[in-house]
Parts: sequence; C-alpha cells; structure tokens
Amino acid sequence: MEILSPSSLQEALLAKSETPSAVPMAGGTDLMVELNFDRRRPDAILDLTRVPELNGWERADGVIRLGAGVTYARLVAEIAPELPGLAIAARTVGSPQIRNRGTVGGNLGSASPAGDALPPLLAAGAQVVLASATGSRSMPLTAFITGPKTTSLEPGELITAVSVPVATGPQQFSKIGTRNAMVIAVASFALALHPERQAVTTGIGSAGPRPLMATAAESFLKGVLDEEGLWDTHGPILPAAAIRFGELVADAAQPIDDIRGTIRYRRHALGVLARRTLGWAWGDLRKGSR
Amino acid sequence: MTGAAKYTEDVSVEGALHAVFVRSFMAHARIGDIDFGSAVGMPGVVGVFGAGDLDLGPENSDEVPDVFARPMLANETVRFVGEPIAVVVADTLAEAMDAAALVLVDYDPLPVVVDPEEALARGAPLLFPEHGSNVAVERNFTSRAPREREPEVVVTGRFLNQRLSAVPMETNGALAVPDPDTGGLKMWIPCQAPHWMSREISKALGLEEKQVHVVAPAVGGGFGAKIATYPEQIVVAAIAHRLGRPVRYLEARSESMVAMTQGRGQVQHVRLGATKEGMITDLEVTNIADQGAYPGEGSSLSTLTRQMASGVYRIPYIHYRTFCVATNTTPTFAYRGAGRPEAAALIERAMDMLAQELLMDPVELRRKNFIPKEAFPYKTASRARYDIGDYEATLDKALEMAGYEKLRKQQQERRAAGDVKQLGIGLSCYVELTGFGTDSSTVEVHEDGSVSATTGTSPHGQGHETAWAQLVSARLNIPHERVQIVHSDTRLTAKGDGTMGSRSLQIGGSAVHGASVGVLEKAKLLASHLFEVSVEDIVQHDDGRFGIAGVPDSVVGWGELASAASDPARLPEGMDPGLSAKDKFGYDDNTMSYPFGAHIAVAEVDTETGQVKLLRHIAVDDCGRILNPMLVEGQVHGGVAQGVAQALFEEVVYDEDGNPLNANLASYDMPTAAELINFETAHTETPSPLNPLGAKGIGESGTIGSTPAVQNAVIDAVNHLGVRHIDMPLKPERVWRAIRRTAG
Repeated sequence: MEILSPSSLQEALLAKSETPSAVPMAGGTDLMVELNFDRRRPDAILDLTRVPELNGWERADGVIRLGAGVTYARLVAEIAPELPGLAIAARTVGSPQIRNRGTVGGNLGSASPAGDALPPLLAAGAQVVLASATGSRSMPLTAFITGPKTTSLEPGELITAVSVPVATGPQQFSKIGTRNAMVIAVASFALALHPERQAVTTGIGSAGPRPLMATAAESFLKGVLDEEGLWDTHGPILPAAAIRFGELVADAAQPIDDIRGTIRYRRHALGVLARRTLGWAWGDLRKGSR
Repeated sequence: MTGAAKYTEDVSVEGALHAVFVRSFMAHARIGDIDFGSAVGMPGVVGVFGAGDLDLGPENSDEVPDVFARPMLANETVRFVGEPIAVVVADTLAEAMDAAALVLVDYDPLPVVVDPEEALARGAPLLFPEHGSNVAVERNFTSRAPREREPEVVVTGRFLNQRLSAVPMETNGALAVPDPDTGGLKMWIPCQAPHWMSREISKALGLEEKQVHVVAPAVGGGFGAKIATYPEQIVVAAIAHRLGRPVRYLEARSESMVAMTQGRGQVQHVRLGATKEGMITDLEVTNIADQGAYPGEGSSLSTLTRQMASGVYRIPYIHYRTFCVATNTTPTFAYRGAGRPEAAALIERAMDMLAQELLMDPVELRRKNFIPKEAFPYKTASRARYDIGDYEATLDKALEMAGYEKLRKQQQERRAAGDVKQLGIGLSCYVELTGFGTDSSTVEVHEDGSVSATTGTSPHGQGHETAWAQLVSARLNIPHERVQIVHSDTRLTAKGDGTMGSRSLQIGGSAVHGASVGVLEKAKLLASHLFEVSVEDIVQHDDGRFGIAGVPDSVVGWGELASAASDPARLPEGMDPGLSAKDKFGYDDNTMSYPFGAHIAVAEVDTETGQVKLLRHIAVDDCGRILNPMLVEGQVHGGVAQGVAQALFEEVVYDEDGNPLNANLASYDMPTAAELINFETAHTETPSPLNPLGAKGIGESGTIGSTPAVQNAVIDAVNHLGVRHIDMPLKPERVWRAIRRTAG
C-alpha cells in the first residue's frame, strides 16, 4: 500500500489526479476501522493531515468556510457560537481522542447516514466545496451525498471545505444511542430556526440511506409559526403542533432494521427528538438568546 | 502507572515464529477438503498444520459425556464461527497472516442452532448427533425437606441472563520456547492459573508437568476468560515442541471476541411462591444454560447458580432443573462471578416481582425473609452452607446512604406529576460463595534481612504484591519494601490454583500468613538457641530485632538470624537449615466463605425514548476483615462497572446463521467512563471464621450485587405503568417497547 503525504493543497490535488484510486485520509477515525476490518484494501492512501490549506477556517459575508481538515475539537473550541448546531453535534462525537482526530471533511467523505455532523450541516444549509487539479466547484450538501456512503465526488476531486452560513437563530441537535460515547447513533435530529427569513430547516441522521431533510415538517412548522404570528410574538407553540411536527419528521425518515434499532423505534425516537429539539430551540428564541 | 510492565507480547525471543490460526467463518458445517497448497509455498512460511498433523487428542471434561470433547483443531465438523481449523507458522506475523488467508477450506453447511431454548426443542439441529440431543447435562435438584406449605401468591417469569464477552484489554496469546535442558518448553502465557496451564499443556503433549515451565508475566485482565487452557495455546506449544523453535501467537481483538470463552448465557424460568403476608414458601427454577459449541468445564457453573439460588432468604423448598445445552456459538465458561451473578439476578428479580404482586415495599419483603444473623452457619435448601452473615446490617447501611424514604417520596412526586422522566430505585441483597482450592506459600528471610514469599495465586492487577507484603511485614516486622512476593512462575512457586473465584486472599493470603507465622516461630527458636535462653524469654523489639526480655544489650536482627540459619553448626538440633517456613491452606470439602452485601441503584427512565440514566449506585459489601481498603475499593469499583454494563449495555449477539454480529469493540457496547458515575461504597465487616485472616472474597461482589440492583431500578421506574419485567441489557428500544406494550 502506498502512502502519499502531500504538504500543500496543490500537491494533494496533483496526487489525487495522478492516483485517483488513492483514498483520502484526515483523522482516520473511519478509514482505519475499515482497513482494520479488512473491508477495504486501497492501493494508496492520501494523507491530508499535512495540508495547511485544509486546516483553517475563515468567516466572510456571514458564512463560515470550514476547512475539511478542521477537527471536531477545534470546531467546538473556536466556532461554537457561529455554528451552534454543528458544535452540539461535534461535542457528542466519539471520545476526546476521536474529537481530536476526526474532521467534518472526513464525515462528509465517509457519507455515512450516521455521520453526526451531517444533520446539523443539512439544517444549516451547508455547501460542500470540492477541488481537483483543474478547478473547484461547490454544491449543496443535499446534492453531495447521493446514497449510503456514496457522494458526487469525482475520482480526481477532494473535499476542501464546507461553507456554513452563520446561525441567525437557535439551533439544536439530539441523538439516541445505546451508550453515551463512541457509539453509532440509533437516530439523530438537527433543527435550525431562521427568524430573519422566517424559515425552519431540519436534518435527520441514522434513519435513512443518507441524511435527510424533513421538508413537510419544515413547511408545516413554518405555517404554524406564520399563521399564529409567533415569529413576532415569540409566544408558545401549542403541544399539538409540536407533536404534529414530530410525526412529520418521523414520516420523513426512511429507516432500516439493524442491530442498533428497528424501523419502528427509529421513527418513534425521531418524533420525540424532533419535538424536544423544537421545544429547546423555541425556548432559546423566547429567551432571546438567539 | 509507568508503562513498564512486561506482557507476553513484550517478551522478546530471537527467532520466534508467528502462528496465525485459520478460523471457521461458518457456525456449523462439515469440513471437506482443506487446501494448504499455495499457503505452504508463501515467503517465510515454515509450516501449515491441520487437525491430523499434530497428534493432539481432544479435550475431555468430567462435567459432560466424552462425545462433547473438543478437538484442538476442528476435524470433520466446525461448530462455531471462530473455531480454529488450521494454523500457519511463519517467520513474521505479516507472512503468517498472508499465508493463512490462502488456506482454502471447503465447507458443507449444516443447520445451525443459536438459541439455547431452540436447541432443546425436538427436531433441533444437533451439534453432536451421536449423543442424540443438544443437552450435554441435565440435573434435577429437589431440596431435602419436603414442601412445607402451598403458596398463596405465585409470581413467574422468564429471565434472560444474557451472554457476555469478558473483553480483557490484553487478548489471549502464548509464547512457547523449547527448553533443551528439560526436553520440554518454557512458556509465557497471559493466564490466571499458571500451574493449571502447565498441567493441561504437559498432559496434552505427553510431557511431565515439570517439563512445561509456565510464566504468567504482566497479564492485562482475565475476568475468568483466562482460566481455560485454550486449544490455540496447546497447539502453539505442540508446534514449538515439534519444530524445536520458539513460536508465539497473539489474538487480534476481533479474533479474541469469537475465540475467548464467553460468560453468563442462561435462560431462567422462575416461579416464586409466598404467603399473602410475604413469607416465601418455595422456589422452582428451570435453568437452560447455553454452553456454546463445546459443553465442558463451563457446565459446572450452573451448579453454582442452583446452589446460590436461595440468596439471602429462608426458602423452605426449592426445586431446580438445569439443562446444559450445546449451541453453535463460542463456548461459555467463567466470567466475573461465574454462575453466582446469575443466581443473584434470578432471586432478586423474582423478589421484586413478588413485592410488586403483594403491593409491598421491596425492602419490607426482603427483611421478612432474610436469614437472621443468629442462624449461621446456615444450610440453605439449595444446599449451600453459609459461614456467617448479617444481611440486615448491610441493607440498613445502604438504605441510610441512599436516603431511601426520600427517594421513594421523589418517585411518588414524579409519578403523580406524570413526568416524562420517571425515577426508579432498585435493590439487590446478595450473597455469593468464594474460596475454593488450596495454595501454598514459602516465606524465607535472607541474609541481607530481606524476605521473600512465594504464592500460588497469580495476580494480574489485583495487587497481591502489595497485600501479601503487608501480611508478611505485619507478622515479621520487616518493612514491606523489603518483602518480595514471588508469583506466577511454576518453577519458583509450589502448586496453587491461581487467581479466580475471589479466592486469593482467603486461601493464598492465609498460606502466606501461615508461613510467616512459621518463620517467626523459627526465628524465635533460633534466637533462643543463639542466646542460650528459653524461647519464652525471646522478645521482638519494635525495630524488628530479637532480644531477651529484660536484657537490652543482647539483640540479633533478621539478617544475622538468616546467616546463622544457613550454618548447620549454629542450628539447634532438629532444625532444618534456612530461615524459612512453608504453609498450605485450603478449606475442607464443601466449605466456602459467603460474602454478601446490599446494593441500591437509582435510575431515571425517559418514558418516551426508553433511555436509562443511572443516577446513583450505592454498594455496601461485606468481605469480612479488610486487609487493604484501597485494593478492596478497586475491586468493588471495577466489579460494579462490569455489573452495570451487564444490566444496561453488553450482550453478545448472533444472527440465526450463527454469525456474531458485534464481535468487535465498535459494536460491543462496553461502558466507557462517560457512561458510569461515581459509586458510593461502604463496608460492613463480618469476619469469616474459616480462615486466620477473617477474610472473604471481594473480587466478584461488585459484579454480583450491582446487576440486579440496576435492572430492578429500571423496572421500578416504570412498574406503575404496568411493566413487570424487562430483560437485560436495558437498552432504550427494549425499555420503550416494554412501556409501550403495557401502555397499550
């Protein structure tokens, strides 16, 4: 097995175009497990940890451009106020060791339906930035992940960053697992409220072939908030509306039965998570804490 | 922690070959051709061996009929995923792994049975067709005394005591080096009983026991799974012996998760009867013990479950039926508690169900039925003879620490308010049995004034080096830093039964104590001879030196005495040279010590998601007289962590084809620090009359006491919703389903 260790983005893109089969590796928290279980035997690994361009983040025009190599630990330490939903999810990833290694770029590259960062990125309206030796492009996360562990990444391309709008309202994330730490979630849910444009966005994890948005639930909730003028009054959301929102989120899921949970439980749990995150987020809004 | 301990893998031996096993990936199949072809010619490969190549007989056990004997390498039939079929030996580990991947095995699949109850059913696939059933052993036990009275209230339940993986941080392995001096082997093996290893391996290889010198270096956890002598270890020894070259192997984690013996694995059908006032009348149990693919020594553990089924209660009549059943899964054997946690779980769960049925507080029901402290020694209907106990005392202490009444009030408030998160309080009053086997010790004082003590126990993290040194130091008045404890080497120690079953201090420690007393007596005799005074006039001063009562000038130290002892001319008549003494300790047949305690768990259950949060765990354990509180604390904490893990997280899962579904640490839910809480621990001390130290075992108490307390707490949190029982592990979905079922 060949290990390619570029020290600049240009070198990395060149290496990827010369050896398209090389599997990119950042923290290695997913890839090393796959290698260890003998699920993959790539002929080359492209180590991205020494590429400085991937390891930073910047803020411009209300958008955070987060380098693909930024670890969860740094995200929590440095950008939590701007990206609160992602930060909550990042805090629940693995153990401290995993958070010191794992990156958002890796989570995107793995494109696991259970990737903890993906639901909050969906809810936040993230754009994935891709680059190759010949140029770069970006696309919405919804278009980037095409199925379980499959993406629109072309053979010569690398994920260089993810662009996430800075939160303009409360964001929440919640998940259920069989233990607290270092476990693949049974179901997870992210919610973002956008008071400035009076919109609601969501992200569902571990309950479909890929992370999903619950669009019917989003428009239902927006309808309720619009109709009752709650965006302005910040008055309470009626329990019946919260329950309906949860049901619509559960309906949007496409879960499967596996060792971690059944279809029925995953749907049920998502409904509960959706209702609860809405309660927390709306509480945040009412408290005026953004 | 220094990182300096040397494990088997750290023992470097030049030219050692690496063995890698070819393991079955079918749970049940007839083996057709095995093609070593391309593996043999691979670079570095020294040999490839199958069942027919090593002349090793199968492993029999007195516990089961011979037909269940396990071959060292599968011949004809494989019976579980992970069973070794062949072994490749090569210069490097990588070469051995690559070559092992090229060994081709033809499998002819056979029907699979995974569930022990299904294995009992008529028409189930048979693992050993010549035996005619999957039941290796059936036992029917009825207490001697007849049924005193018919019950007025009866509770019944089917409890699953799920199969667990021990998961020691260091996996299994072995290093075998031919010893030209003996024509045998020197072996380093991560194990709990080196002398047992030596016995089993020498027997398998047709050698004398002394020709197999076994050393257990630093061992990274055992928990019962490093008691057995594994076929892999015998095979590695046989190959080293045959090739005349050192051979080593070390399991990878996912290999270890299928090859290492697993624990628990019982289905218990329980019926507990009582009067309307809550006095227990009788207990009936049918216990189906899942022995995995090769029922053997593990079949003895369900006898311990039966023996301890009476718990801390007076139960006049017990009927207990056991089926030890073969299934197409990894063989089961001891795991921390080994048969006794299953008993505590059985009776403590049934007691809570009975309390619920009688609308009685579980504390009150327990108190009513406790064996009173005046009744010891007490013989239970299940034929255990409890040495001593004071069950009220541990319960009282636990209730006080927990603030039981207040907790019940908080529970009532949450129930009345219909809170989403409900509170549960779980009790477990347990008793267990410890202290089998015998151990010897030789204590010897050296001319430099230091002292060494050998022991047949084999500490792997329990701290015997510290505790035994305390014993020696206290008896001899020699500073403990001058005490060396010699253990885990079959050449340097007399035969002993190793470390398991919470036996070490009371048996091994008592031998060390006895030998120390012997040395002290000898020292006094020798001093009296040297000073030419009567031994009654010899005193030991505070500084450890010996003198004559009332004569301050005449003193002799340990070192001088040791020098004198090595000089036959200076010895009194009839005294053997050397300032040493030997002692052997063990209980009489059928005698054991019975540690006990009371645990209380407080758990919060999210009734919408089924998620459980353990809020508190109170453990009051009585292990008799405590020698070293910090070591006891370590045992309790580790034990409780593993017990909580059984209640809430861990379970080995197979699919219907016998494929293990979570045989790795990514999916087998061991708890991490993030799942656990600060445990609140305390002790009562009821010294055992059975040994000079007054000690009882503590190694497994935490595991035995905690599991039922946590399970009871979770069910207690939702029993007002109509839930009577939920099987372990209490993962969110399972709890949610139980609530949902009763909530309609």
